[in-house]
Amino acid sequence: MSADEFDPFVERAFARAPRMADEDLFAARIETRLASSTRLRTMALTMAGLIGGVVAVRQSLNSAMDLGTSSVTMPALSLGQDLQNVSYDAQLSVQPILDQFGLSDMALGSMGGMSLFWVGTVALVGLAIAGAMKLSQEI
Amino acid sequence: MTKALIDLHDVELAALAAAGGRREFGELARRHGSAVRGLLRRMGAQPSEADDVAQDAFLQAFEKCAEFRGEGTFASWVKRIAARLYLKRKSRNARYVAETENEEIAPAVDTPGLVDLDEALKALSETERLCVSLCHGAGLSHPEIAAALKLPLGTVKSHVKRGLDKLRARLQPEPAPYGRTSHVG
Repeated sequence: MSADEFDPFVERAFARAPRMADEDLFAARIETRLASSTRLRTMALTMAGLIGGVVAVRQSLNSAMDLGTSSVTMPALSLGQDLQNVSYDAQLSVQPILDQFGLSDMALGSMGGMSLFWVGTVALVGLAIAGAMKLSQEI
Repeated sequence: MTKALIDLHDVELAALAAAGGRREFGELARRHGSAVRGLLRRMGAQPSEADDVAQDAFLQAFEKCAEFRGEGTFASWVKRIAARLYLKRKSRNARYVAETENEEIAPAVDTPGLVDLDEALKALSETERLCVSLCHGAGLSHPEIAAALKLPLGTVKSHVKRGLDKLRARLQPEPAPYGRTSHVG
């Protein structure tokens, strides 16, 4: 057999690997390791999300305290103003629905910008916690 | 295991695995695990080490599954990953020699014509065995092997050639001598 003929012969011999008796067990081990690595990743992401949420809440608290004092910064003031405008617009759009249900006395506009901000923050944190709980149930 | 998984082609399974399908990837590991472990053993890994490296290779393949486009076979793709992982692991402990080692020659294959590659590979030095396995088993080119083993290209080529010569001497059937051919009838 010449070298030219022998090379493909060796390649074919390498391609013919004997089947191993424990190949099902081997595949099961890989699936188990994949599952555990996915679990670890999910946990890490959840933790990162929660830590991020806590940091965000803390920062929000700090900014709320700043707004409560006389030394209110211009960006914070502008944010509060924007939120008040949004709440006023929301009240205008929601008012017909409130009228229909006999709740026309309820005035969203009376909620300050920061109150709406807090409601939004609480809703976001609640969503994050619900998401984390759902993920942990899936695991 | 559902029948649907068995019926799926490797490329389809890889696409499903790329979307996070662990069971689909498990099927791929079931199909090609033996081939990958076999290659690592042929490269000189001990069975337990071969299993460890093969598992790591499959896990890495799962992470990179989206990169598998079906241009080659899935088995070849994982074999290449496994071969590189094994070399990386081995390079921490070993240094490859550029010259021929004093190797212990395994006994010749008893049955002429019988292709027992695993037995024949024992006749090769460690570096020859690695070079031949990487070239013909994992499908790496000579420059890739040279880079992986940190050896000069010429040295790799001579290792491959010498290894193939030894394999040829052991694997190819001996021609029947003149006057000793069997006559029927």
